[in-house]
Amino acid sequence: MIEVLPDIQFKKELRRVSKAPLNECIQCGTCSVVCSLAPDEKPFPRKEMIWAGWGMKEKLIANPDVWLCYQCGDCSTYCPRGVKPSEVLAGVRQITYRQYARPRFLGEIMSHPKWLPVALLIPVVIISVILKIAGTLSIPEGPVNYSKFFPHAWLNVSFTLLTFFSYGLAYSGLKKFWKDIKMQFPDFQMKKSYFNSFRESLIAIFSHSRFGKCSSQKSRRVSHFLVFYGFVLLLFVTAYAIVATITHHYPLGFLNPFKIAGNVAGLMLIAGLGMMIINRLFNRKNFGSSNYSDWLLLVSLFFLTVSGLVVEMSRLLNWGSAYHLYFLHLVCVWFVIIYLPYTKFGHLIYRTLAMMIATSIGRN
Amino acid sequence: MVLDKKIGIYICSGCGIGNCLDVTKLSQAASTENTLICKIHKALCSPEGFEIIKKDIEKEQLSGICVAACSPREKTELFNFRDHIQVERINIRELAAWIGEPGEENTQVAAEDYLRMGITKLKTTSIPEPYIEDEICNDILVVGGGVSGVTAAIEGAKAGYTICLIEKENDLGGWANKLYKQIPFKAPYDQLKEPLVTELIAEAENNKFIRIYKSTAILQIDGHPGRFEIAIKHVKTEKIVVGAIVAAMGWKPYNAKALSQLGYGTSDKVLTNLEFETLIKGNPKQRLPGTILFIQCAGSRDKDHLPYCSSYCCGTSLKQTKYIRESNPDSSVYIVYKDIRTPGMYEEFYKEVQRDDRVFFTKGDVEKVETQSEKLKVIIKNTLLGDDISIMADMIILATGMTPATTADLNLSYRLGKGLPELKYEFSDSHFICFPYETRRTGIYAAGALRAPMDISACIEDAGGAMLKAIQCIEATKRGEAVHPRAGDKSYPVLFMDRCTDCKRCTEECPFGMYDETEKGTPLPNPARCRRCGICMGSCPERVISFADFSINSVSAMIKSVSMPDEFEEKLRVLAFVCENDAYPALEMAARKGLKWSPFIRIIPVRCIGSINKVWISDALSCGYDGILQIGCKPGDDYQCHYIQGSELTQKRGENLQETLQTMMLEPERIKTVFVEITDYHKIPVIFEEYMNEIEAIGPNPFKSM
Repeated sequence: MIEVLPDIQFKKELRRVSKAPLNECIQCGTCSVVCSLAPDEKPFPRKEMIWAGWGMKEKLIANPDVWLCYQCGDCSTYCPRGVKPSEVLAGVRQITYRQYARPRFLGEIMSHPKWLPVALLIPVVIISVILKIAGTLSIPEGPVNYSKFFPHAWLNVSFTLLTFFSYGLAYSGLKKFWKDIKMQFPDFQMKKSYFNSFRESLIAIFSHSRFGKCSSQKSRRVSHFLVFYGFVLLLFVTAYAIVATITHHYPLGFLNPFKIAGNVAGLMLIAGLGMMIINRLFNRKNFGSSNYSDWLLLVSLFFLTVSGLVVEMSRLLNWGSAYHLYFLHLVCVWFVIIYLPYTKFGHLIYRTLAMMIATSIGRN
Repeated sequence: MVLDKKIGIYICSGCGIGNCLDVTKLSQAASTENTLICKIHKALCSPEGFEIIKKDIEKEQLSGICVAACSPREKTELFNFRDHIQVERINIRELAAWIGEPGEENTQVAAEDYLRMGITKLKTTSIPEPYIEDEICNDILVVGGGVSGVTAAIEGAKAGYTICLIEKENDLGGWANKLYKQIPFKAPYDQLKEPLVTELIAEAENNKFIRIYKSTAILQIDGHPGRFEIAIKHVKTEKIVVGAIVAAMGWKPYNAKALSQLGYGTSDKVLTNLEFETLIKGNPKQRLPGTILFIQCAGSRDKDHLPYCSSYCCGTSLKQTKYIRESNPDSSVYIVYKDIRTPGMYEEFYKEVQRDDRVFFTKGDVEKVETQSEKLKVIIKNTLLGDDISIMADMIILATGMTPATTADLNLSYRLGKGLPELKYEFSDSHFICFPYETRRTGIYAAGALRAPMDISACIEDAGGAMLKAIQCIEATKRGEAVHPRAGDKSYPVLFMDRCTDCKRCTEECPFGMYDETEKGTPLPNPARCRRCGICMGSCPERVISFADFSINSVSAMIKSVSMPDEFEEKLRVLAFVCENDAYPALEMAARKGLKWSPFIRIIPVRCIGSINKVWISDALSCGYDGILQIGCKPGDDYQCHYIQGSELTQKRGENLQETLQTMMLEPERIKTVFVEITDYHKIPVIFEEYMNEIEAIGPNPFKSM
């Protein structure tokens, strides 16, 4: 028995972030029929839609089902009332990043365009302070050498520490998220160990198998695949580069296999992100409307990739503005990597956790 | 009379008839039937073919022609010579050429039989002379001054008829006048409207062709379409005469006292939708409490209460939700429904209400309503939220349904009762698709919520429809024609009273109350009330009733005109009486689809299977038919019989027929009744084949040799 007490503020916020007319849902269940994720005994996302309409925040936040949705858009395509369930679920996820953001103000800053200057100012100030401390806050003379501007040791240590610091702060929020998910299942019974669930979830993520079930947005599998593997490849290359700054002559030569891999990854990212951006701009019918957090992630990832390639080029061509571009690139890195738990990029963590829970309780 | 007729036979060989039948042989068969001319043409419906007939009619002074070609339902207008020439259409295409094997002898024999039957019919019937009542009145009575009645009156007056509008209350407007606002009836369907009825009342009151009688009751309605004499009690008793009646007495709310399980009667915070409407209309500016819950289908779509949907309640609750939300911006409204039914453009209004963040909808069953201090705790099961829920409400509004007003207030002086016959749920009987307004009392048309639950907009539309039917009825009665379903039929039952035994069979069986009767029981026909179904003809044991173009003698003669193979030929003969309304078109469709059936079957179309007289059956059996099929429309609550009771009566009469069979020492299988729908064409050959097998199993009729 639920004692009904709707959270009108939550409902309004969800309408704002999702831009979906969720009130107009008639609970026909078409979404559940077309959804490849809907289990036989659970009308997903029909039930989520009425919870949204009734302002039942606690049912929606920390609901693993909401995270199993990879927003293929089939439900929105077939919805006879045009209430866009997929976007409502995306909205719930967006509110979740904010809900579990620690510190909370970072979640707020990352979800409103009005706070964008602040979000930009934070990395600009902190990076400048680091440079100041390192004593290199000026444009070096001679041929372009980024280590003169930001010594490798300073860069690697400070950014690694900052990343760990950010993720450390986020940890308590994620722990709460994990606890809240489990609260949703009072008779929680583990059918599979967390290790096995994690393994299965990773397989699902790496294979992109679920994207294949989508019929409304077939190209998403390709674009996400490109971005995902491009990014993973770059992570490896970056990790190697950090080591290489110590062990090898740096920067690496243009034909170094790692350098080649990095450039290929950059091109993969540009291709994948380009597809995503074009689809969001010109194919709204199938891809739905995009909100601030969608664009924030897409644009910062795109800028990160493009600026990375441009910075490499400006070093080779010895451009005068190379150091400015490099600074910009570092701000992009900050947006994508250090801000990760507070932006849509957080889906990387949240979704993995939710998939683990879902797998361990036997949710197919 | 038979000798007087100059008959021409025209046989068409087109549409494949000539490929299947030997038309020359057919014309030879016709020439033995005492006809004047017999001609064959390859397309009688072509200008050239038609010209041949026209010329012959003029030159030979023909009084009747037989067109042996396609079905009478084809080229009907072309071969209609109106009142001058009697025309018999003989369907050798669908009933012989298309369903039989080409060149086969039995098919040829079937065609020859149909030809003889047609000629016999032409010889034994005549062109109907219409029965025209004296002193037909053009005025129309509208009973009930609610939104349906007022609209009907306005529509009738606009069409040029004088209307008498009777209302039992002091004011016009009925329930619609008790509303604060009306649900939107115009694009964009999102804002509440001022009740439309106010304008309608003003329009009716200012129309000089509408005479309004308020606070008036009907003491008696006597007469028939074209002339109903009505005794009314206003201040004094008065008599008015009208040609037709629109009954728009409306509805009454379902008795909410039966809904105590929903808190009605136990808490004064539980109101019906009408009580809430009155509350708001009394003081529209009042601040309503914070949480209000609507229970939809309160006592509707429920086997213990009203089993049906009243169709207006969902819209009304949405409208009242608007009242609440506009009166108090902090209020919350919950709507618990079985289904939200907002047909047509009301969907837009439903959406409009949904857009409000403080209105919550769920499907669910209200389990319990408990009073807890100042509040009502509502427990709801089977919700869409996945759990049972409880809501603390300050007020509950029950969306209760409609029940029809009683039609006994019409005080009809018909022998079959004061009111209009009812079908399901006490609504007056009408076929909701084919004949929505036609009640079983010809000339009286039901409009609005009296005939089916409906909302204001639907009533307005309905009223116009019913009024047009009333006008049509007056005009048809002036011409002595049937109104429906045999629109334009000029024939009517003629009673040969010398032989009548006052058995009352006809007066009891007529579904339309056509017959009044004397104290002794002698039938007094009112032909203007007649639908021309022939059920009375079928009922009469003395064979007293007949129509000019459809009579006991004529059908008997047709039955006897069929060639009967002798007992050694091993060729069966089965007679099939087929209802013209649905079964006959189904047969045609079967033929058109290329389906085949036995050439041993002979088909006689009838107006209704209720018009089949017992004597035809005994005639057929005694002249050697091996079996008799009666094919009609579906009886029962969801009947499809165009005359409502024809199929049901046939079933009842079946018992009497079995007695006849017993006295003739014949097997009960020799008579079989089947019901089909118009779309059942594919079943036709199956029905025939099964029946032929049954008859074959019991062997030929022993009367064949006599």
